[in-house]
Amino acid sequence: MENISISLSESGPGQVSEVRVDGVIDTNTARELEEVFDTLMKRGRYRVVVDLAGVEYISSAGWGIFISNIRDVRANAGDIKLANMIPNVYEIYDLLEFDKVLKAYSSVDEARSDFSSLTGTEVKKKTRM
Amino acid sequence: MIRRPVKEINAEFSAEEKYLDSIQRTVREACVAANMSRKEISAVLLATEEAATNIIRHAYLYEKGVLRLRIVIYRKFVVFSFIDFGRSFQPNSTGKIDLEKLVESGRKGGLGFYMMQKIMDSVEYISSASRNELRMIKRLGETKADTRPLIRRMWSLRMKFSIWTFFIVSVIIGGAFYYIDRQTSDQILDRLDNTVQSLVKTVADQAAGYFIRSRSDVEFDELVVSYVRANPELDLLVLTDTLGIVRAHSDDARNIRKPFVLPPGLDTTEAGPGPIRFEEDGRELNYLSWPILSGRRQFGEAHVVYSSEEVLRQRSEARWRTSLVTVLLLAVGVLGIYVLSNYFVRPIVRITQRVRRFASGDLESELPLGGAEEFFEISRALNEMMTRLSQDRKNIVAREKLAKEIEVASQIQQTLLPHELPDIFGLELDAFYRAASVVGGDLYDVFEIDPGRYCLVVADVSGKGVPASLVMSMLRTVIQIHAARAESARNILIRVDSYLKKNMPGGMFITVMLAVYDSAERSLSLVSAGHNPMLYFAAEDHEVRPINPSGMPLGMPVTLEGGFGDSLEERRMELHNGDLFFIFTDGITEAADREGRQFGMDRLAKFLRQWLVANGSEGVHTLSEALVAELDDFTGFAGPADDISFIIARAVVTGEADQTEGPATISSAPDDPEI
Repeated sequence: MENISISLSESGPGQVSEVRVDGVIDTNTARELEEVFDTLMKRGRYRVVVDLAGVEYISSAGWGIFISNIRDVRANAGDIKLANMIPNVYEIYDLLEFDKVLKAYSSVDEARSDFSSLTGTEVKKKTRM
Repeated sequence: MIRRPVKEINAEFSAEEKYLDSIQRTVREACVAANMSRKEISAVLLATEEAATNIIRHAYLYEKGVLRLRIVIYRKFVVFSFIDFGRSFQPNSTGKIDLEKLVESGRKGGLGFYMMQKIMDSVEYISSASRNELRMIKRLGETKADTRPLIRRMWSLRMKFSIWTFFIVSVIIGGAFYYIDRQTSDQILDRLDNTVQSLVKTVADQAAGYFIRSRSDVEFDELVVSYVRANPELDLLVLTDTLGIVRAHSDDARNIRKPFVLPPGLDTTEAGPGPIRFEEDGRELNYLSWPILSGRRQFGEAHVVYSSEEVLRQRSEARWRTSLVTVLLLAVGVLGIYVLSNYFVRPIVRITQRVRRFASGDLESELPLGGAEEFFEISRALNEMMTRLSQDRKNIVAREKLAKEIEVASQIQQTLLPHELPDIFGLELDAFYRAASVVGGDLYDVFEIDPGRYCLVVADVSGKGVPASLVMSMLRTVIQIHAARAESARNILIRVDSYLKKNMPGGMFITVMLAVYDSAERSLSLVSAGHNPMLYFAAEDHEVRPINPSGMPLGMPVTLEGGFGDSLEERRMELHNGDLFFIFTDGITEAADREGRQFGMDRLAKFLRQWLVANGSEGVHTLSEALVAELDDFTGFAGPADDISFIIARAVVTGEADQTEGPATISSAPDDPEI
């Protein structure tokens, strides 16, 4: 069976959390990633960058995690940003037109900087309230 | 045609997550077989994973169940059917699922269906009372991408041809251009030199007149200036007297009466008769001098400096024009070559397409013959090959069918031979049968005619294989039926013969050795319808003798001397304990070794005698095994050229009382008869 390893570097509210996934996100391994997302949502970490550099394949279950969470994340002025997709994964992302709902970046830094430039100040105000 | 599937895959899995990999592997193999691109394959796998997971999780709720996968590959599309027998699932909407709406719902449900719809060209869910089918169709549009680098892909025959032709044509045209260019530039310079020379001559002639008439400096000056003005290629025209003093100078009148100084850079020391070329301030100039003569008297010299730059400039302009036209022509030529090569290569493309169609199963249509001689030949050769191949395939199919039928015939025939030999009081029996081909024309049979009387038959139908086996099948029944009504062995064969004459195709005949054994009398009545002799072993003297009652084969046309019955001799024999008779077909005696030597009657008789003397206490079944082994040894397992069959029967001591007086060596119990 394929393996998956997930490392989470979490930061304070309003800050960007980074999820680094390695391996294959298929029906069997998707649960682990789902748990990570559940934890993030519970703690109010709505600004998530997922580093997919080490992911060879994402099954429907994997995509489902991003798609099912994006509504709540957006409602809280956050976003899920996908970084470093390998060509095989990107092809599927492109084919399924997920670019309409999930943004892709070629590096983690790029994804991070997109957070700070767009909604940074607005979120800070909200958290202060 | 299009509807005919290229390949069909049916597989059944236990609906468990641990079998997902196997399911996906099956799908992948099908995709590869359908020649899908890597990208398409990974997309399809995503859709099928979703389909399989749905069945496991939602149709069976992780309970036990069966997932049936059926993949049908057509030439233009592939149909993936996932069939389950669990709960049917209600797709939220029958129409297209919108991704944005899906995100708004915030649920995962529906994403799978969305993905299937995006990946596949058609997704259908068909649900009946007991069975659900998710049918997804993927069109085969783009074939597998050519992974060769661009250069290799472009490196087609056409490309090669065009490049080489371009190269050769360029070299030829370039060479021709260079040659012509050189020629023209030399000609242009020559023409200039000639023009200037004749000009100088004219000037010198005129100047001679001026010298004779002692014209003034002004007149001299006008002369040179007018010439230089009229001829722009002239740079400088100077007239000197015999002492080298300038009389006229086109450039500067102040030089008059001064000695003529040659332009710097001009070296006249090695001057030949023609013009001298030299350079001044980067300009290419020519110098020419001509004596001013009148009759024999020389008055001085005319010096001219002229430039070839103007003509060279004109020439270079002309050269550009020529080059441009040349390059243009070359381009048109190359284009023409490419188009032409396409035209020539087209038959190859056509042939390739046809062969590919053949490979995918279209065995019928032929390549149109036409085009150039070479392609005509290729097409014809390919047509021949394809016709041969499809013919062969048909033949193979037919042959396989026939082989199957013969196998069935062989099985039927086996059932026609006696399964078990009857227990005959006072006789120990064994029989053997082996066909040369799958079906044989030999027959042996042992059956009870009426209580205490038994019929033993060995027959050989002429020829072998299917026709012989068909007659043989009939013969067994015919003999059994007629034996029941006949009063003697001879009578049986007469009745059988008359039946066969009416019911057997002409040209065939049968030889039969038939014995009627009477267990009460312990006697044997023997008739032979043209059969080879049987061998008789007498316990009394341990000798083996052939016994051959005369008779014509069954089914032979009636001869002049009389009917079949007249030819038939019946011989009666009394049997004693230990006597053995061996009735067989000539397949044994005519069995040949590698050098073509036959086993022969003598060898057979000798073998029987030796075996019986040495192993008299063994059952006859052991004898038949030994004989077959001996025969196989002899032929070297080449297999019998003809059918082989025989019956061995030995008279044995019977009853309690006899056992004490009979030879103790002979077993009273017959061996298990075996075919």
